[in-house]
Amino acid sequence: MLKASALKKTFKTVVAVDGVSLEVNRGEILGLLGPNGAGKTTTIRMILNVIEPDEGQITFDGQPFSDAVRNSIGYLPEERGLYRKNLVINVLVYFGGLHGMSVHAAKEEAGKWLGKFDLLPYANRKVDELSKGNQQKLQFIATILHDPQLLVLDEPFAGLDPVNQIVLKDVLMEMKERGKAIIFSTHQMEQTEKLSDKICLINKGKVVLQGELHEVKRGYGKNSVHVEFEGNGASLSAVPGIKRSLIYENYAELELEGNGSPSDLLRRIVGELNIRKFELVEPSLQSIFLSLVGGEKLQMEEKKEGER
Amino acid sequence: MNKALTVARWEYLEKIKSKAFLISLFLMPIIMIGMGVIPSLLATRPDTESRIVGIVDQTGELAQPVSERLSERYRLTNGKPNYVVRVLASGRNVDVAQQTKAADQMVTAKEIEGYAILRGTAFHDSTVEYRSRNVANFSLMERFTRVITEVITEKKLREQGFDPQLVRRLTVPIELKTTRLKEGGETEEADFGKVFFGAYIFMMMMFFLVVTSGQLLVRSLLEEKSNRVAEVLMSSCSANELMVGKILGLSGLGLTQIALWGVIGLAISLQFAITLISLSNALLLLVYFVFGYLLYAAIFVGAGAPLTTEQEAQQITSYLVLILIMPIVLAFPVIQNPDSTLAKVLTFIPIITPTMMALRIPIQTPSVLEILLSLVLLAASAAGAMWAAGKIFRIGMLTYGKRPSLRELVRWVRTA
Repeated sequence: MLKASALKKTFKTVVAVDGVSLEVNRGEILGLLGPNGAGKTTTIRMILNVIEPDEGQITFDGQPFSDAVRNSIGYLPEERGLYRKNLVINVLVYFGGLHGMSVHAAKEEAGKWLGKFDLLPYANRKVDELSKGNQQKLQFIATILHDPQLLVLDEPFAGLDPVNQIVLKDVLMEMKERGKAIIFSTHQMEQTEKLSDKICLINKGKVVLQGELHEVKRGYGKNSVHVEFEGNGASLSAVPGIKRSLIYENYAELELEGNGSPSDLLRRIVGELNIRKFELVEPSLQSIFLSLVGGEKLQMEEKKEGER
Repeated sequence: MNKALTVARWEYLEKIKSKAFLISLFLMPIIMIGMGVIPSLLATRPDTESRIVGIVDQTGELAQPVSERLSERYRLTNGKPNYVVRVLASGRNVDVAQQTKAADQMVTAKEIEGYAILRGTAFHDSTVEYRSRNVANFSLMERFTRVITEVITEKKLREQGFDPQLVRRLTVPIELKTTRLKEGGETEEADFGKVFFGAYIFMMMMFFLVVTSGQLLVRSLLEEKSNRVAEVLMSSCSANELMVGKILGLSGLGLTQIALWGVIGLAISLQFAITLISLSNALLLLVYFVFGYLLYAAIFVGAGAPLTTEQEAQQITSYLVLILIMPIVLAFPVIQNPDSTLAKVLTFIPIITPTMMALRIPIQTPSVLEILLSLVLLAASAAGAMWAAGKIFRIGMLTYGKRPSLRELVRWVRTA
């Protein structure tokens, strides 16, 4: 469906995107990950043809960008907003029209989707009379009203309550089943892990990690341990043989050093904590993300310290 | 370009319901009528009641004829005399100072409207004093002056041995009737006030239209940027389609406004039986108006798209409005002499071409060559401004934070 190769974009002297390539097929969900300022939004804008890349190519089913392609993309921007003073139904019909729908067709589809998201009673209200959550749902409807083949969603789950997160997740899965290609960018690793078929991790304009989600995880091997416990887990980080640790109130994810053995680890901590569960797992996306992005940050900070 | 129409339709239908538009739609004619018609109506409104005026006469022979003529000549609509003259004192030995004191009290007590003092020296120095609480009643004072002048002149003529009747017949003042000549030998009766009023109305209409729609345009750009609708719009249609659509939609609003004002104007001119402008001139002005409007719209787009805050927008729009006010300042010299070099030179500055033509065409239609040249120049600069605005728009709509410098804007135009 979408294939972008070696995209590069420079603003003044800052290289925002440097050689990013990605691909997403019909029936696939691609999670675009990366810390703030990594170049996600610039990449997305190039895909949408809102800005032109300095170098690189983007094709849709092998074709270059065209008006027909434009009508088959649905885009949900990161910072939400709609016309506030206008009627819900009018706004939807306008956005539908902008994607080539007739007024009649747009009205019909709008009614269908408003019903699905329990917004039908608000159809003739002004947008700013809706609650924030409902405005988000409305914006999502505006994104998919014209039945796009490619969905580009920037932080689609941000600001949604758990109930609506599930509603949105179900809709996305349904669209995937119907053969749509979906790209979404996010910081929320959990959602990515549940939804994505592929991930693409960008940092400082470059792709750091890319591929099928399960292969990426397998590549990191089963050298992580999930521990559920009672007691003070702070001491876990000091246990020898642990490369990296994520410690929560009564749960921890520990990454072992290359030659570390899980049994040794278990032996060391069993006296200190009341262990309720001990499991050898693939690393979570969160810990992969931190190991690739956070580690680098850490190194930079250490370097700064050293310079001082 | 289909999407441009979608954008235009949205802009038109949603803006036409906005308060700002409705206010300007109805406020403008009210202001125009208020400024143009009411003062002249008030100024020429005839008295409905007799006014009592006094005369203190030290000559002893003027009070009688002046009061007779005043009360006989000027009548109210119900047939009563407009002025009732009370001769307060008459005679060669009248003490003016004492009479003045008494008469002043009558004025303050509102017994009389005012009074004239005809001193014994009036025949020699031709000076008459009028004292009143209101010295701005022009028609009263003008009539007073005329009658007294007549009486004194007649007396002087008689003393010189002329027959006043004969003199009056021989010295009937001429009445100046002006006729405006047009191409093709048509003639039309016109007077300066009417022509000025016509030209003035057209200039003000254009001015108000550009200001209100320019502000609507800048505000809608800003709103779309601040709620990030801009990004969605730019991803669903090209920047040019979006810009053209916005300008089309606003032009539609402008034409709606003009049409309504035109109907009101037509109703008024039928009511008062005056033609402000001929049809062919109106059509010619419409052409200027359309190109001028496109030029202004492009300027507003180019200036508005890079802005990010309401304050900046207000600042910029008020600068632009200042530029548009410039022609109003120049209106008087141009109207008085529409064929002067000044008027001709100003006509060829594109941003004021439409207003200058709005002033010149109703008064004295410029030559065909001038019209063609100025139209070509205006159209070319409108096209150029559109092109540049399109470039700025494409980048500006996605730029947040700091307002770009002029140099950056130039770079946007060059590179994008």
